Amino acid sequence: MTEVQLQQPAFHDSRPGLVTRLLTGAGLIVMVYVLLYVLYAVQQPKALTSYSIAALINNTAPLALAAAGQAIIVISRGFDLSVAGVISICNVVLAVYPLEGPGGAAVSVLICLAIGAAVGVMNGYLVAVLKLQSIAATLATMIICQGIALVILKAPGGSVAEWISYEMTDRLWGVIPVSGLVLSAVLLIWMVLRRTSFGISLYAIGADESAAALSGINTTRVRLLAHVVAGCAYGLAGFMLSAQTATGNPSAGTPLLMLTFAAVALGGTSLSGGRGGIFATMAGAATLTLLQKVLFSAGIASFYTGMFQGAVLILAVVFSAFLVRLGDRK
Amino acid sequence: MFDNQPEHSIGGTGADRAALSAAGLHKAYGATVALEHADISLVAGKVHALLGENGAGKSTLVRILTGAVAPDAGGMMLNGKPYAPHSLLDARTRKVATAFQELSLIPNLSVAQNLLLPNLPRAFASMVSTRRTLEAGAEILARHGLDRIDPAAEVGRLALADRQRIEITRAIDNAGQVLILDEPTASLAETDWLFDQIRKATQRGVAVLYISHRLAEVREICTEATVLRNGTTIASVDLGDASDGDIFEMMVGRKFAHQRKPRVMRSASGEAARLAVMDLCGHDLQDMSFELRPGEILGVAALEGQGQQELFRMLVGIERPHSGRIEVDGAPVKFSGPRDALKIGSGIAYLPEERKTEGIFSGLSAATNVVLPVMGQAARGILISHGREISVAQAAADRVEMNPRYLSFPIGDLSGGNQQKALIARTLATGAQTLLLFDPSRGVDVGTKQSIYAAIRAFADDGGAVLFYSSELPEIVQLADRCLALYGGRITRRFKGAEITEQSLVAAMLGHVTPEITEGVLA
Repeated sequence: MTEVQLQQPAFHDSRPGLVTRLLTGAGLIVMVYVLLYVLYAVQQPKALTSYSIAALINNTAPLALAAAGQAIIVISRGFDLSVAGVISICNVVLAVYPLEGPGGAAVSVLICLAIGAAVGVMNGYLVAVLKLQSIAATLATMIICQGIALVILKAPGGSVAEWISYEMTDRLWGVIPVSGLVLSAVLLIWMVLRRTSFGISLYAIGADESAAALSGINTTRVRLLAHVVAGCAYGLAGFMLSAQTATGNPSAGTPLLMLTFAAVALGGTSLSGGRGGIFATMAGAATLTLLQKVLFSAGIASFYTGMFQGAVLILAVVFSAFLVRLGDRK
Repeated sequence: MFDNQPEHSIGGTGADRAALSAAGLHKAYGATVALEHADISLVAGKVHALLGENGAGKSTLVRILTGAVAPDAGGMMLNGKPYAPHSLLDARTRKVATAFQELSLIPNLSVAQNLLLPNLPRAFASMVSTRRTLEAGAEILARHGLDRIDPAAEVGRLALADRQRIEITRAIDNAGQVLILDEPTASLAETDWLFDQIRKATQRGVAVLYISHRLAEVREICTEATVLRNGTTIASVDLGDASDGDIFEMMVGRKFAHQRKPRVMRSASGEAARLAVMDLCGHDLQDMSFELRPGEILGVAALEGQGQQELFRMLVGIERPHSGRIEVDGAPVKFSGPRDALKIGSGIAYLPEERKTEGIFSGLSAATNVVLPVMGQAARGILISHGREISVAQAAADRVEMNPRYLSFPIGDLSGGNQQKALIARTLATGAQTLLLFDPSRGVDVGTKQSIYAAIRAFADDGGAVLFYSSELPEIVQLADRCLALYGGRITRRFKGAEITEQSLVAAMLGHVTPEITEGVLA
């Protein structure tokens, strides 16, 4: 009995405190989001209606999904620029070859996932097998993808299948936004995924690739798979973006590229790998989108949005670094 | 000629009792021959030592045995069957496991996950069962006397010594046949736990390969030893029959006198202290006061984490003291960083603790690494001249007996010993008159140690002042003119000349404060 009592304190010292964990993980960004939402609701009393909540989630979905894919790559200590290319290709394909009806939508989703997976395989081959630096390899695939998107659709135009652009932005029973369900499904998949060997290995290679290899993890396979999974997330982002815009644009993905990194960083995922998660990243993406809305409803011209987003990013990163240091001091 | 050795010689006369034997192993990386011709034979249930200087090929031999690299020539047998692992995991399935010197643990995973990777227990939907992972981890920890460690704790948050214990535990747990321990005591303060675990393993019939620079440890736990020199097996000996002198001779090819070399100190009393520290406090340090005079070598003896890191880092301005004074050449100073410390007064040069992360720039040549703080000397106009870089580096390299042909190699490709020589050459090249050396011979072999000691002595003989910390007591005994023992951030005792013996140092390091502080608090 006494032995057990002696052991207890040693156990507790090795884990960070509850407050630190809440503030450094998803907790911080969720708090920021809630604060911002309160601000938004004060400005716009309509913000609490199910219609504007759905509209907000619709706006959030493409960035949240793209950032989720990016987070998977960043956790494994990499960068993926091809996100912009994949979204652009998906968008122009859906606009040039609209497939009507629920069946058409299902085929469209599969096409988007396939495009993402194919680019992911290519990225994975370059990064995991040929051991190229991820930023260089995915820069190349991004440029190639942008080129392909331009070949499919020379100038903005075309129109996405009505069923997709209508149903995917709608609310079920007038309450639950479909895009919210898509995000929840992706989160659910991630929660399972991160508890599989693949998920654990992902964090392991992000923290220390050589130690992971010495521990018997097949780092090549994990990295390749990570790019494929991320590619599928980008494909889904492209699908949701098309549903949103209802039209095609060969450079549709470009504005999202840097924002995915901002969302990842806002969510507290370390850009040096091994830490972070998808939920916090999605919350980061949601915060960036909400910030846009708040600024818009406050009557601030949209060209100032970028400056505010950047400032919020710096504040969040500085604050979380400060909290981490505080946690280490103790 | 080695290639012609008949196959049946593998394992030699004891082929029936050898658990793992290797013969004629050869490995070259490009033009560099890492392993010329190595033979080794491990016996089940026995602990076998692998000895050799840094760069003798020990690491390469270990990598071959563990399947991390494939040999260019030679063969291995495991329990009478050919053994050619193509990966670490492959070796592990043959029940050959290794605890690496540069720990192979993943910092952001839990202790249990690290112990069980890559085969974590599954729950439904191919998800990993957290509960069963923790249970299995706790069971492994308990079996190896580590039940005080929480299996759910993140490895990165554990103390270095515990991380090393986890690394060793994982290897022992996977080692059904052969256990390879590469410098297992590098971060362990005591060996009792380790030796208990090794004995338990040998009782199960595991053959153990034990690699360490510490001969006393090797003698305690090992029965046989194989000595490597320049990539070739010099001999396999029964440790009972070989004296330390014999072993050193086999390792380096010459005998060393390991006694303390009496140094004639320059009459220092008249000169101002190069470095004087008064009532220095902060970062766990309390009332630190001492002086370092020209021509003097002052040692710091302490267990891990008694404030020595903070002291050295404060003396070059990496950390700031809360109170107290630092004087250089009689004038009070405040450093803003190591660059500043180099320029103040007669200059202070610092050799940091972590060679890999704080010392070398692995992609640059050894010469560039040496001349880095004094780039200006190697420049013609604004451009660095390769020829001048080599000649400036050469002068410093000679002082540490570093082979000049290594200067143009990327420093990352050199052995640990040569990297350390290059770093000491760097501090000498700065022209600073005071050196702060933190563990100057950390992880280097006997031969390199002697070269480093000679360089330090020569520097002091020329009027330089040296403050050094060492984790090895014999080093302090051999090198220091005076010595400070640190415990809990305080100086517990000061020693002078012949008073410096291992026994007295140990007592002071463990915090036995004695009333014989004769020098007074302020000199």
